[in-house]
Amino acid sequence: MTQRRDFLKLGAAAAGASLTGGTLVSAAELKQGGEDFSPLSGAERTAVPTTCWQCVSRCPVIGYVEGGRLAKIGGQPASIRTEGLLCAKAQGGVNQVHDPDRLLYPFKRVGKRGSGQWKRISWDEALDELTAHLGKLREDGHPEKFMFHYGRMKASSSKLIKSVFLAGYGTKTIGNHTSICEGGKWTAQELTWGSHYDNWDFDHTRYVLNFGSNCLEAHTNHTSVAHRLVRALADRRVKMVTFDVRLSNTAAKSDQWVPVRSGTDGAVALAMCQVVVEKGLYRGKGEEFLKFCKFTAAPQASQKEKLDALKAHLASYTPEWAEKISGVPAETIRTIAVEFASSYPAVVISYRGAVAHYNGNDTERAIQMLAALTGNIDNPGGRCKAVGAKWKYPKFPGNKPKAKKLKIVDGFPGQAKLPTHHISHQVLKMIKDGSAGRPDVYMWYCYQPVYSNGDVAENIEILKDEKLIPYTVCVTPFYDESAALADLILPDATYLERWDWEDMVSPNQVAEYYIRQPVTPPPGEVRDFADVCCDLAKRMGFPLGVDSKEEFVAKSCELTHGVKEAGGFAYMKSHGVWHDPAAKPKYHSFGKVLKPEALAANGVIFDPATGVYWNWRKSKAKSADEAKSKGYAHTKNGYKGYVGQQIGDAVYSGFKPDKVNKSGYFELYSTIMEEKGLPALPTYVAIPEHQAMKDNELVLTTYKVAAQVHSRTQNCKWLSEIYHRNPAWVNPQSASRLGVSDGDPISVKSPAGVLETRVQVTPAVAPGTIAISMHCGHWEYGRYASGKRAETGSQDVPGEVIWWTDNGAHPNWIIPNRADPTNGQQRWMDTVVQVSKR
Amino acid sequence: MDQSKAPPQESRRAFLKGLSASATLAAAVAVRPAAAATRTVQYGMLIDTRRCIGCHACSVACKAEFDVPLGNTRSWVEYVEKGEYPNVSRNFLPRLCNHCSEPNCVDVCPTGATFKRAEDGIVVVDPERCIGCKYCVQACPYDARFINPVTGAADKCDFCLHRVSRGIAPACVETCIGRARIFGDLNDPNSEIAKKIATNPVSVLRPGMGTEPNVYYIAADHSDEQERRRGSYVRVTTHRKEKERR
Repeated sequence: MTQRRDFLKLGAAAAGASLTGGTLVSAAELKQGGEDFSPLSGAERTAVPTTCWQCVSRCPVIGYVEGGRLAKIGGQPASIRTEGLLCAKAQGGVNQVHDPDRLLYPFKRVGKRGSGQWKRISWDEALDELTAHLGKLREDGHPEKFMFHYGRMKASSSKLIKSVFLAGYGTKTIGNHTSICEGGKWTAQELTWGSHYDNWDFDHTRYVLNFGSNCLEAHTNHTSVAHRLVRALADRRVKMVTFDVRLSNTAAKSDQWVPVRSGTDGAVALAMCQVVVEKGLYRGKGEEFLKFCKFTAAPQASQKEKLDALKAHLASYTPEWAEKISGVPAETIRTIAVEFASSYPAVVISYRGAVAHYNGNDTERAIQMLAALTGNIDNPGGRCKAVGAKWKYPKFPGNKPKAKKLKIVDGFPGQAKLPTHHISHQVLKMIKDGSAGRPDVYMWYCYQPVYSNGDVAENIEILKDEKLIPYTVCVTPFYDESAALADLILPDATYLERWDWEDMVSPNQVAEYYIRQPVTPPPGEVRDFADVCCDLAKRMGFPLGVDSKEEFVAKSCELTHGVKEAGGFAYMKSHGVWHDPAAKPKYHSFGKVLKPEALAANGVIFDPATGVYWNWRKSKAKSADEAKSKGYAHTKNGYKGYVGQQIGDAVYSGFKPDKVNKSGYFELYSTIMEEKGLPALPTYVAIPEHQAMKDNELVLTTYKVAAQVHSRTQNCKWLSEIYHRNPAWVNPQSASRLGVSDGDPISVKSPAGVLETRVQVTPAVAPGTIAISMHCGHWEYGRYASGKRAETGSQDVPGEVIWWTDNGAHPNWIIPNRADPTNGQQRWMDTVVQVSKR
Repeated sequence: MDQSKAPPQESRRAFLKGLSASATLAAAVAVRPAAAATRTVQYGMLIDTRRCIGCHACSVACKAEFDVPLGNTRSWVEYVEKGEYPNVSRNFLPRLCNHCSEPNCVDVCPTGATFKRAEDGIVVVDPERCIGCKYCVQACPYDARFINPVTGAADKCDFCLHRVSRGIAPACVETCIGRARIFGDLNDPNSEIAKKIATNPVSVLRPGMGTEPNVYYIAADHSDEQERRRGSYVRVTTHRKEKERR
């Protein structure tokens, strides 16, 4: 807060200056950012280019510093992704730095775990203690008993901490949080077109068909995608249709909101595919693309064979059939299918509303099929393969030890057949079970195991139990619900106090290279955990080759083609972002015909079963003979040797696989799924729990809002001031059946527990659904999130009054941790709940 | 984490010093009417609500730009949700001071602390002269004003005068994800804002108040809670401490 003294003094000065006139600049000449001035003194604020971390979009930003204090965060006008624009959440990042409840020193618990009694210790003590634990495990030959669990760890942080430090240490017991995020969508994409992530080319599209994405409020590439979507809708009058159980702001901005029964988007998408095939709307671009698609078991099927297989598979998926399942009128499905298929280029988009379900894997595959049948794959205006920066970085010096792993990150045996992004929301249950072993040290980083998963009560119970997990370490800038259950807390830097190179996907298909640099020095004894890793490694006798993340980033800038020539680290520090001005947007990556030399390289062999050319030396095969006899599809890591796909007489770059040994086709017929006993072609499977619901039962859906990022931004006062309470949305029809009125206190009960909240009766949600946003109901995380100060100490903010007292309710208490049986995705949107008035 | 709090006695001294500085200002204010006759610039804003996605980037940009204390807002976004299932709409209405041509706040100010600048039509508050009487807060039909708890003076949007006078767009305009806001000189027929207003159906808020706002809207949803009383479902969410809007 500004000092009254300064305000008055400077306010007068500024106002005085304004009276002289002549300072007017023509509005047409006003710059759209890149500079900022103090409203009090008029002095220019120092601009430091860096990168946001509030959400995973990681937008380039500029931090504005006034008198050594971060005052504001603005957009980066030189960014080709954001074009200088910036969302509320990113701007709220100022509050992360100044959070009066943030951790400033290492802390060690002194009472029982979870009792909230802490002792401040020095870094030396903290590292001595940690090194004693970790060093012993490593010396005893059990590095796998050190479990490292991260929530968000990207780009250089991931490389230095995971690929260098943890690899050098020797543990592969590494958990992530992808299964509670979007892992299911990624698996479905790996099965169809190889690497995960789809970019939506709004700049060139003529039609947007949306299944369950709220990209105008929250998205993994939010600002970059949202501003392009608005541009398409407003400037070019592109039509947009949104299927969602809830009128999100994205649905509200669409030309048409089509409410759909929870978990039935797949039925609608399949029916649309049926319409496209029945009416022959695949002709033209779709037919051209069929060549690259696999619809049958045989790798070299003719167009006719493909179409026949497709027609047979889709025959029963009529719009009338889908109407009965989804509640969407058959005529609506037909009309939208025809519009979509006739509007090339058109883009079909999807996210968790569609995929975080029991049947999410095949919903995403059905959506991929709809895009493929209309030729809208990796084309201008369609659903495109991701393009991002490719950084080079310093590797671990010397030989890495052979890493060991506890089998606790992929769920229980048989729980999911293809969890390519793991089932990390089951980790605590696996630890409790113990049959696959337990870690001695459980450390988490940028993660909230207690709050961010379902089954909150069970998470607390397991983490609290010193017999189940002997030693817990939390790396975080803030005292949150999970830090409260740590034995040792290491105060991490916020993203505005650390170094990184960054690489998020570009919505315009041209890679953007950018860095994060400290805008202000870390307060207290705060340290970036990656720097701590450099120290830990040295203490344990395996130095990482760099002494800090800054050095790692600096060296990466000098190693990376393009960045290096532009001026390397010095250039990046002053400009923040770089892209190749001569680069053309990347489309049709699959259509390149390979030259014979590529197929003649040492180790490259042809696999007749799939039509794939692959280099067996990059797989786990020990010899060419073994590779040939096992075949590409059945050799471990065969996909790592993928070279190209034989289609007709040519060999194409195709759809390069990742994580699984799929062919180079766009695989709608998946042999991998078939061999796991799953349907080869995208198939609708009803959600078992939704089939026999009682009158007082609703399906719980969760969602995000524009002014908050999942669990992480409620400590930002400017954001929580806007959004801090989250009454449960219920449609008037359902409300009247349940006997509840707007504002009533209600109990929401599931097999996992009971949540007490209030109801908001609104027609903006489909009947049969109850919608509770996921940001609220913190019981720690500082005063702005929970009304409670951190037990590890806090600062006063004189004169400040937090005027809201209702901090909302957290739905994860009543959502069980379950998994999509194909890919392991947490089934966020499936929970059946009973609602009653309190 | 503000470690730079000044002891109260020092603040008091500086406060008095500040007051003496404001004497110059008072003199300057007195000559303003003469300048008004030659006014050629009227800054204004046009908000195309078709491009607004209710994201609050503007609200937070403004909070940060001025470090606006909790409980107060210079710039905010209202959600207007209405209809019967499944024909439901939610429209967004970004709000700020209207920098009226006939500002009630200026009329009621007993000290001249609130005035309309001759140079550009921006309505400003001189915190040195404001006595915190709240007449202007009451008089504003748009709830655009508040008493700043730090200064004790009336406060509100000033179109980012400190930025605009240095050649930078207002903070809310710079950040707007939908590029919904156009800022410029309404009196210049060649300005983008004047051209857009001339070629689009536009409206202002509460035109019946006779305040002649200089913030214009394209496709604004003017629904209010009154319609709810007439039986239709309308929910206006202000996202402010003041839940209700006048």
